[in-house]
Amino acid sequence: MQYFLQLVISGIVVGSIYALAALGFVLIYKASRVINFAHGQYIAIGAFSAYFFATGPKLPFVVSAFLALVLTAFLGFLTERIFLKKLVGQPIISVIMVTIGLASVLDGLMHLTPFGASNYTFPKFLPQGGVNLLGLQLDYAQLLAVAFTVLFLVLFSLFFQRSTLGIAMRAVADDQMASLSLGVSVEKMFALAWAAAGLTAAASGLVVGTIAGLNLGALTSIGLKVFPAVILGGLDSISGAVVGGLLIGVLEKLAEGYLDALVPGGGTSYVFPFVILLVVLWFKPHGLFGTEEIERV
Amino acid sequence: MKRIWLLALIAVLGMAQAQKTVSLVWSGAITGPTSDVGAPYGAALEDYCKYANEQKLVPGYTLNCVIRDDQYQNPNAQRILEEALDKSKPVIYLGYSTGAMLQLKQLVNEIKLVTLPASAHIGLIDPPNTYMFLPTSSYSEQIVALLEYISKQNKGAKVALVVNPSPFGRAPVEDARKAAAQLGLNIVDVQEVGGNNLDNTALLKRLEGAGVEYIVHQNVAGPVANILKDAKKLGLDKKIQQLGAVYTGGNDLIRLAGEAAEGFLWASSYYLYDEDAPGIKLQKEISKKYGRPDAIAQSHNYTAGMLAASIAVEAMKRSVQRYGRIDKETVYNAIVSMNGPNAFKPGFAVSTKAGIEIDFTKSEQTGGEGLRVLQVKSGRFVSVTEPFISNLFRKVHGK
Repeated sequence: MQYFLQLVISGIVVGSIYALAALGFVLIYKASRVINFAHGQYIAIGAFSAYFFATGPKLPFVVSAFLALVLTAFLGFLTERIFLKKLVGQPIISVIMVTIGLASVLDGLMHLTPFGASNYTFPKFLPQGGVNLLGLQLDYAQLLAVAFTVLFLVLFSLFFQRSTLGIAMRAVADDQMASLSLGVSVEKMFALAWAAAGLTAAASGLVVGTIAGLNLGALTSIGLKVFPAVILGGLDSISGAVVGGLLIGVLEKLAEGYLDALVPGGGTSYVFPFVILLVVLWFKPHGLFGTEEIERV
Repeated sequence: MKRIWLLALIAVLGMAQAQKTVSLVWSGAITGPTSDVGAPYGAALEDYCKYANEQKLVPGYTLNCVIRDDQYQNPNAQRILEEALDKSKPVIYLGYSTGAMLQLKQLVNEIKLVTLPASAHIGLIDPPNTYMFLPTSSYSEQIVALLEYISKQNKGAKVALVVNPSPFGRAPVEDARKAAAQLGLNIVDVQEVGGNNLDNTALLKRLEGAGVEYIVHQNVAGPVANILKDAKKLGLDKKIQQLGAVYTGGNDLIRLAGEAAEGFLWASSYYLYDEDAPGIKLQKEISKKYGRPDAIAQSHNYTAGMLAASIAVEAMKRSVQRYGRIDKETVYNAIVSMNGPNAFKPGFAVSTKAGIEIDFTKSEQTGGEGLRVLQVKSGRFVSVTEPFISNLFRKVHGK
């Protein structure tokens, strides 16, 4: 039982990171029906800019992390203003191709910096050790992952339910024409969604960087690794992203703990979540919490 | 007066004509996956080429070093080599990734092009092969050497292999199993772990449950660092000793794993940046001269690139000295005669007891066979063995 609990808790920690990264996908898709294939690059930019602020001007890590969040959010905002604003109304494949191109450009730009091809670690900002939960050891970096996910989930829930901007964003996601006729600036809402996605990307970059160090390839690939979480939860559901992320994380760890021993070489954790994903999509094609769209002719 | 100027011009042109150009080509992951290895490796090749030209290490020849980024993509590596074969006609090829090198092995043998890959996959020099040469010992030899080290410490120990999910990672598994059987070690599990292994609790708890005392890694530094950190978190760092082949260790591992790297054992043929070796002195001089940042200049992957480049340049130099020309054939002959009193000693890798650093023959295509086991102590790698050659590797490989 202790072993099972250990696996579940490990899964929740990893799943929290997936959920945090998945939030960025969902925010953009929810507002503009665009899948951002450059999300992994924003995760890397968030992590590396925090590292830069902490080691270049030697700012305290909390300040560096805050600046990284703001910078990445601003970058998300700028991306929408510069590249995507002009594509409103264009075929969705054009927009997707732009995000794929953007990923290549951002990758290339990062390779022009020293961060492109080396490994780094954040300066120590968490205390040594961790907490013991029912006999299970959790270090502070892992707790940070869970805390960030909960914090962002609460903040976004409040934002979407209580603030005028949040309600306007939901309205745009629901019906763009109706929102326009009510005086909501759809363009602004799109830009805001990209900024919010940049914020969550930076947050997940900070968490991944704290746990596993900073490596461009590893950070950008997280952006794609969370796809099953997003699809499982439903592309346009914030709570779905969180549940999807946690489910994928827990399934990965359970597969690693119980199935790897039965398969030569192991590696079932890479496959098992996708098997579950296929089964879920068989019964719920829009994901667990995705909006079912019915087209009537 | 005009006639004098004309004669002078002809003389200058004649001298320029006398300085011929010879090409070598390298493609590797300057960007993309494993660029933490490829970027310093490529930088070393570039720098050594510049240095060789400045110092005129190959008399009468200017080196044209074609250094390209293949982004760790096999099709890119193939395209770059084919393009170079058409345009610059290289006499030597310095490759990179295991996948690309395995793919290009047949081609380089067909066109009789001497190849020195960064990958040390044993399959690259397994027969049929004539033109592929490994600068230092293969991954398989490194892992077998680590198993020999374990058996000296703890006969009958339980060992797990944790390898990268790729041909690079799987390369030594078969030889490791055979060697373990001969050494009386018990390989209880072989697991594949790639990048993005954000939490390794399941793996470590399962290995602990199986009574594993040693984990031997064939991977890159990132995944190993994460496993080391998780082992420390779970209190398994004192219970399970971790060891790894050449690309698991170095400064990157210490940077990524921090205190959790303490005690990690690493098999490497290269001298360390803080050691007093002629190659390392040259490495410091060259990296400073060309303004390389510390992260690159102090990387053992930069040393590895320096070694590969120095072997290539030495082969060209010997071609000129012995045959008066450089072409694919003379470079091959120069490489396979690099043995006995003609062995090469650039000082980047440790020498064997016989004092030999790099030697090749037609049948022995591994250059530096000596290696050491190093351990992280107080945040830096220090040697815990004298340089040695694996006794068992050649007995188990291919048998």
